[in-house]
Amino acid sequence: MKKVLVVLLAVLGLAGLALAQTTVRVGVLLPISTVAGKAALNGVQLGVDQVNAGGKVKIELVVVDDGNAPAAAVPALTKLMTVDRVDIVIGGLASGVTFALSGPVKQYNPLFLCIGAASSVVEQAFSDYGRFFHYHPWDYHNVAAALSFFKSLYDGGARRVAILYEDGPFGSAGIQTYRQQLQNQGYTVQAEPFKSGSGSFTAILTRLKSFRPDILYWIGYDVDALPIAAQTRQVGLEPKLIYGAPPAWPLGFEKNNLSNDVAGMTAWLPSVANNESRRFVTLYRRKYNEITDEYMAPMGYVIALSLGKAVEAANSADKDRIAAELAKVQMDTPFGPLSFKPSDTGKTRFQGFNQSIWLQFQYLEGSRRPVFPANRAARPLRYPGNY
Amino acid sequence: MDLLLQTLINGILAAGIYALVASGLALAVGVVGIVNFAHGEFSMIGAFVSYLLFVGAGIDPLISLGLAALVLFVVGAITYYGLIRPVLAAPELNQMLLTFGISVALQNIALLLFGADTRVVSTSYQGATITLGGISFGAPPFAAFVLSVGLLGALYWFLGKTRLGFAVRAVAQNRLAPGLLGIETQQIYLLAFGLSAALAGIAGVMLSVMLYASPTVGFAYTLKAFAIIVMAGLGNLRGVVPAAITLALAEAFVSTYVPGGGGWVEAVFFLVIFVALTWRSWRLS
Repeated sequence: MKKVLVVLLAVLGLAGLALAQTTVRVGVLLPISTVAGKAALNGVQLGVDQVNAGGKVKIELVVVDDGNAPAAAVPALTKLMTVDRVDIVIGGLASGVTFALSGPVKQYNPLFLCIGAASSVVEQAFSDYGRFFHYHPWDYHNVAAALSFFKSLYDGGARRVAILYEDGPFGSAGIQTYRQQLQNQGYTVQAEPFKSGSGSFTAILTRLKSFRPDILYWIGYDVDALPIAAQTRQVGLEPKLIYGAPPAWPLGFEKNNLSNDVAGMTAWLPSVANNESRRFVTLYRRKYNEITDEYMAPMGYVIALSLGKAVEAANSADKDRIAAELAKVQMDTPFGPLSFKPSDTGKTRFQGFNQSIWLQFQYLEGSRRPVFPANRAARPLRYPGNY
Repeated sequence: MDLLLQTLINGILAAGIYALVASGLALAVGVVGIVNFAHGEFSMIGAFVSYLLFVGAGIDPLISLGLAALVLFVVGAITYYGLIRPVLAAPELNQMLLTFGISVALQNIALLLFGADTRVVSTSYQGATITLGGISFGAPPFAAFVLSVGLLGALYWFLGKTRLGFAVRAVAQNRLAPGLLGIETQQIYLLAFGLSAALAGIAGVMLSVMLYASPTVGFAYTLKAFAIIVMAGLGNLRGVVPAAITLALAEAFVSTYVPGGGGWVEAVFFLVIFVALTWRSWRLS
């Protein structure tokens, strides 16, 4: 009899626990064949592990590959919504893909937690959608952060900037405004378009020799990083700083001597010294036996943790109640504090991070080191660099 | 004057890698009679062979050149024997669709195996510079140019001075008659297609040094190779180097002297194809 009572109590206890636990199914729509997409997924899974370990919320992930292309992403989202029947989607890494998803998202109405997609075009596309939470800074935040760095370089004596920009939407959007803003800081600017992936920069760089730029600033993709670094030396351009702004850097670039002294911008590096960052690094290393430089990993982690907090506060799997709680979330993250406010343009209602998360780094002796702003720098910027 | 000289050098050196890719394509078109849209993907395989040997065994890409050529020769021979040979008698459209399919398949296999990311090798000579007076240029493009000229010279010698080369040229000129003389046409096709792929593989290794390895690295060069073989005349191997130099110089001059010309570079080869085809049609009419 005693045994029966013990078993009964145990069963009731477990049932009670189950009743107290809120379970939500979440679709994850990422380009998992890319380094950034894989890192983002790892971060999301790490965050979900932490949320689930708390016991009050259980997040079940349904992961699909967006193929880094609209043609693959739209059917993948449709499957998440109609077959897997999720109410919450984490995704939207690339701007072009996310822009293409704006129509289907509005059709199916999920709570959409956007991990990347910095383009203002995406901000415009989701301006009338109330369940859109954008964690990543917008492109104007990126520009503001870069301009702050360029201001410090101007104060350090830099006067001429040569901008190489790829002639697609990524590189050429807002280039005139950017040019104007640099000129407003006092710089003389020469801007030249190029075809990303062509590998042919010698002609443009040769022409820039007469301009004698202090800073060679290129806006393109990972495929352009090595050719620009190599051909800058080969034509004898000798800028004092090569500053790149690709969405991702090539694998193995840090081990290449040509990367030395090349600078760029990122939102996070493992060496960032705050408690949440250190905690993230420890957990990530424990789960994956490695650490990543990709800031999309902590971004995914932050999204999962914030979602867990919101579900717990909502005590419900209803997407609108979760959204209402998510809007109130305030938490420390590896990037710094997170809370949601309307975007600077007022187009979207829930914007997470802004320009304050960006830091400038420089490739030095085989790794990326934060060099700006001063309060987050691990070491001083090497200027002029040796190219 | 320095700018003009520098532009000329930039163009001529760029022609080396163009000629290397295009000569393989010209061989496939001229001898086997097939327009191989997967030629760039053979270069991509060469780039990955170089990258994997570098990362896995620390082998310098220059040492990988021979191995990559061998691997690609085998890949080309298998592709010919398994896929190309059955459609040789089929209409040209079918052949083109097949090679286009091979191209898509190879790209997607690479995507599955390696992902979409760009990978770079790291050697001490990638940024090496040669300076002559006021002119400076990169050692890798110069090496690629010398290698290209050397390989094409060897290819011309092979085709013009050896019995096997004569057989290849005979098959290129007439598909039936050499068979009557005891030349194994299928073996010649296999050899030519394998050599074509090997040349693409060597170009791929150079691309891994000068640019990167990724599933799409060969695509842009395939387009340029098509422009070159169109300009040279389909299958005309001797016209490949002059056509490659013409295309590369046109790109260099547009980039250097046309304001915003860097964005127009890719349009140059379309213009070249357009002008070459129009001029040839006009001359024949």
